[in-house]
Amino acid sequence: MMKRLNWKQWTAIAALVLVLLVTGLFAVRTFRRAIYWRMHRDEVIRPWMSLPYVAHSYRVPPQVLYEALNIEHPPRDRRPIRQIAKEHNRPVDEVIGTLNEAIARSRQHPPNGPPSPEKSP
Amino acid sequence: MSLTDQLLAAISIYGLPALFAVIAIAAVGIPLPVTLALVAAGSFVELGEMRLWQVIIVGSSAAILGDQIGFVIGRWGGSRIETRLRKRKGGADKIARAHAFAARWGGTGIFLSRWLVTPLGPWLNLTSGMTDYPWRRFFVWDVLGETLWVVIYVLLGKFFSRSVQALVDVLGSLVWVLVGILVAAILFWWILKSLGNSPGKALRRRPA
Repeated sequence: MMKRLNWKQWTAIAALVLVLLVTGLFAVRTFRRAIYWRMHRDEVIRPWMSLPYVAHSYRVPPQVLYEALNIEHPPRDRRPIRQIAKEHNRPVDEVIGTLNEAIARSRQHPPNGPPSPEKSP
Repeated sequence: MSLTDQLLAAISIYGLPALFAVIAIAAVGIPLPVTLALVAAGSFVELGEMRLWQVIIVGSSAAILGDQIGFVIGRWGGSRIETRLRKRKGGADKIARAHAFAARWGGTGIFLSRWLVTPLGPWLNLTSGMTDYPWRRFFVWDVLGETLWVVIYVLLGKFFSRSVQALVDVLGSLVWVLVGILVAAILFWWILKSLGNSPGKALRRRPA
């Protein structure tokens, strides 16, 4: 009985150390991600995002993105990038690449004068 | 194309029904990226593609439904396991202790696992069912916790609508930090308690 209890205690202590180590690693990761977020406001463009979302996230007019892809701008476009890529028989990565270039260009030469002042999110 | 991308694409195209399905399935215990789904829904609200109250109602009712399924599975499976355990030596004792623990800590556990330490949610649905936690109390805590969860994440998504993915990356690992702290606290408390109950035992075990 005594031996059994000690075995349990040692296991609990080992588990505690392990849990603390893993928690520490996750805490560091959380901190680094938060810092990264503060440094780089921009989202990485993912296939699930719609063009209006990308335009909203990057603060560029949606028209810039539609023009870059050479497609029409329907009024309420919920299509994710992956669907747009499929419809136009283009690889998703290529579409994302085109969007990134268009965003960079638009920021260098904004279509309507200087870019709007940065708003906190 | 990752599962996450496919699910979010489905939510973007099909809207609330897809959101409902994803959240309900995840609440039963299938690991799906629900945090991202809710935060993304919040950003769709900001973009005017979804309405806030609809997202909150659909999201929380999906989670509540999934939780009830988990609870029923736990109760159904639990009664079978219990019959087996009772036949074993000391089995009845263990069952009584588990039931007492659930009666004392069940409500707090259910509530906190809905919105704070969310990875534990599906487990608590099962164990609450298994330990015969009163269904009405489970339901009340569940409704409160899940609604809070949906409101928090959707509003975060709405306010940080420009950086959904970055926000979810931070939240995703922050939740595991909270789970880790909770588990560490429980282990620490158990170790202290067991040392207190058996003073000197750890010392006596050392070889002379």
